[in-house]
Amino acid sequence: MSDEKQAAIALDHVSKSFGTKQVLRDVSLEIERGEAVCILGRSGTGKSVALKLMISLLKPDSGYIWVGDEDIAQLNAEGLSRVRRRMGFLFQSAALFDSLTLHDNLALPLHRLTDKSRPEIEETIERVLGEVGLAADKGKMPVELSGGMKKRAGLARALVLAPEILLIDEPSSGLDAITAEEIDDLLLRQKSQQKTTMVIVTHDVRGARRVADRFAVLDQGSLIALGKPADLEHHESEIVRKLVAEH
Amino acid sequence: MQNRNLTVGIFLVAGVALFTLSLFLIGSQHKVFARHFEVYTEFANLDGLTKGGKVKVAGFDGGEIVDIAVPGSPTAKFRLKLRIEERLHPVVRADSMVTIATEGVVGDKFLFIHTGSAQAAETSSGATLPSKEPLNLADLMEKSAGLLNDAGGTMKTAGQKLNETLDTATTTIRNANDLIVGLKQGKGTAGMLLHDETTATRIRQSIENVHQATASLNQTARRADDLVSDLQSRQLGQKAEETLSNARSATQNIKATSQRIRQTVDDATGPDDQGVDTATNIRQSVSNLNQATENMSEDMEALKHNFFFRGFFKHRGYYSLSHLPPDEYRRDKLFSDSRNHRDWFETDDLFTSDRSGLETLSRSGGARIDDAIDRLSDSLGPAPLIVEGYSTAQNSPEQLADSRNRAMLVRDYIRRRFHLDAQDVVIQSLGDRPPAGVGKDRWNGVCIVLLHSNSR
Amino acid sequence: MRKLFEFVGKVARFGLQVIVKTFRPPIEFRQIWSQIAEVGSRSLPLVAASGLALGVVMTLHTRSTLVTFGAGAMIPAVQSIAFFVEIGPLVAALLVAGRVGAGIGAVIANMRATEQIDAIEALSIDSFKFLVVPRVAACVLVLPLLTTFMDFSGLLGGYLSEYALSHISLRLYVTRAFTNLDWANFVPPTLKTVVFGFIIGTVSSFFGYTTNEGAEGVGRAATNSVVLSSLLVILADIILVRCIFLAFPESAI
Repeated sequence: MSDEKQAAIALDHVSKSFGTKQVLRDVSLEIERGEAVCILGRSGTGKSVALKLMISLLKPDSGYIWVGDEDIAQLNAEGLSRVRRRMGFLFQSAALFDSLTLHDNLALPLHRLTDKSRPEIEETIERVLGEVGLAADKGKMPVELSGGMKKRAGLARALVLAPEILLIDEPSSGLDAITAEEIDDLLLRQKSQQKTTMVIVTHDVRGARRVADRFAVLDQGSLIALGKPADLEHHESEIVRKLVAEH
Repeated sequence: MQNRNLTVGIFLVAGVALFTLSLFLIGSQHKVFARHFEVYTEFANLDGLTKGGKVKVAGFDGGEIVDIAVPGSPTAKFRLKLRIEERLHPVVRADSMVTIATEGVVGDKFLFIHTGSAQAAETSSGATLPSKEPLNLADLMEKSAGLLNDAGGTMKTAGQKLNETLDTATTTIRNANDLIVGLKQGKGTAGMLLHDETTATRIRQSIENVHQATASLNQTARRADDLVSDLQSRQLGQKAEETLSNARSATQNIKATSQRIRQTVDDATGPDDQGVDTATNIRQSVSNLNQATENMSEDMEALKHNFFFRGFFKHRGYYSLSHLPPDEYRRDKLFSDSRNHRDWFETDDLFTSDRSGLETLSRSGGARIDDAIDRLSDSLGPAPLIVEGYSTAQNSPEQLADSRNRAMLVRDYIRRRFHLDAQDVVIQSLGDRPPAGVGKDRWNGVCIVLLHSNSR
Repeated sequence: MRKLFEFVGKVARFGLQVIVKTFRPPIEFRQIWSQIAEVGSRSLPLVAASGLALGVVMTLHTRSTLVTFGAGAMIPAVQSIAFFVEIGPLVAALLVAGRVGAGIGAVIANMRATEQIDAIEALSIDSFKFLVVPRVAACVLVLPLLTTFMDFSGLLGGYLSEYALSHISLRLYVTRAFTNLDWANFVPPTLKTVVFGFIIGTVSSFFGYTTNEGAEGVGRAATNSVVLSSLLVILADIILVRCIFLAFPESAI
């Protein structure tokens, strides 16, 4: 773990299909510690699937997924729990628990996955909600929140465990440009202050260019390009160029 | 969160409370925790009772059937174990009757324990209470139908018998008519018998009675038959009681009718108080005629053996034979019947002569007669003993005197010795000639005759 | 046909998983508690109101027949036996299948569609234990209680109806209602709703948990939950009633 050269997350020849539809084909990708990688691609090219594989919400059909030095596909529930404690996941729709208040949404992972005492938990929730600007709304139910607030709340829940790795699915989808920028600012701050490794699936190239160190481009389930955004602008594939182009 | 806890708490508490409440409401009916005593009772027919069935003591719901032991043989009964509340113990006595009752028209079957009598002891725990089998309506119908069928059958038989009797009576009348014709021609004694107005009336009366009895019996039988078919055709129900009481009265009618039949038959076969005069008349008529007429007709014989008149002859001392001529006697089938019991005694065995030549019964002779009568004692009945006297003296007056004397000596001895009435021992002096067919041509002495039962 | 058997197999495995995971610690008491609130407390008004109405209607129907036979005194007994033995358990279960089954199906399907289940899994929480088991457990625990409520509200409805017609006293009504009742008429039929609860919870959760059709899957999961759980409840009732008759022969009238 202390090995600085070791990748935070590594996909090693990963394939995944649903029924007859192959979503990922032999994808290999390494993400360095403290690095922010954006996965770009057209809709339905397996970006979200790649993200879910990284936290073992889905299991690969073949290949290996390493988080640190652990092959998460092979881990038992306890090991997986240990790995996941270091990871945060921001879902596309925020995925706040409808039946719980904002406060309880954040309290749940802390209760479940840490040994923190009740005052510590309260303190953490206060702090994280303050960071995302929702301190005043902790008693609200998810349905009472706007789309941007939900996204920030989802981010807050992902951050509440102070994860080393943050997996982010479409941070700006369904949001206006200003709100999307606020989210990006939060991510940038997290990255610079906490050195959090980030994997971001997005269509918003403008936001991605602000946050990401590298881009990975998926097309038809295959990784067709990987590199710094500036390098990819001149990539041989037209798809890559189009995706990376900042309009 | 606080609010939700409150509602859930209320919900759970109220739910559990209601559940418990219903447990207790139901349980209270069974008085699970009350004190009990246990008694037994037995039934051949449970009529649908089951374990757990209710037991009511004098209508008070206070127990249940806790166990039913199935009988081991068809003759044994189901043994029911009852658990009854202890507080009802004082009314359950040793003579408390247990019956099976039904709750309402469509209700459950339950056991009903009637209160016992105050004098009887309180029943002890484990005792067996007397029970009354359930009154099954269908069974009852079946039984009464059977009874009426039987009655119908019996009455038909009785009617048949009476008809036979009537036939006989009719024959008798016909015979009697013949006799009357014979009498007018100066022929028989029986003619006189029937000519006697009282006797004739009586006979007619008897026959009339039989006629009436038969008619009424036939009617009863018809009524019974009707009842039975009525019963069978109906779907039972509320008519049952009515029908049953009809059946009961029909049965009573039958009883009365059969009494009348018996009376009629008694009247016909035996004497009654009124009959004595008639009988005396008959006897007198007969004996008068007997003297006057030479012969005893065959018709008389028939009449004598007839069902209706036999009794008259038998009991009215007709067989005293005091006026029956020896010839007649010898020829009469009744006396010459070889099946008659005869004890023959030689003169020397019975009699000794004194110096004047008069015969008397010797001591040893008495002993012989004793033996003979003793042997007969089992057969002695309504029929008289006949003592026949015989003598082989040289001339017939002497024969007559001797034989008569010997018969009288023996008769008197028997009468005295065995305290018999005059009409029970009769004499006949027959000279030296016994009746034909008894196996002896001549005899000197005495013969004691007991008529064969068929000829009596 | 093959699909049908596959489906049966899936549901059965799902049910088995429910049973296995119910008893595997840690037990999600908080979730169970909140589901009891959802299934129980919030179904109570529906159940009580239905019971009351049904009780009134039942008495109105049986009354004329019983009075014709001169068995007017049997009205409370008929009412109580009908409710305690069959109407209470079955109607309570069907109402719960309608209200809660649809709710469970829709909620879980929605959670699936909005990635909440993934989110739970991402927190290393066993979503099955977290979502399905508490719902099934709540149904199992709550249905006997709801049945009891149903029984009593039905009896209350019967009493009100009978009181309006014959001014019978409550005490006499209760006495008559419970005189003919046996524990076998109450305990087994009430406890059989545990099975109904299991069916409702499991079937509804199954449709919600296994949907993968996004938003329109939610509605379908809700509908399927109600239809199949109601059907299975009635079918199970046949078997359970038969079993109760076997175990308590005297309760078979």
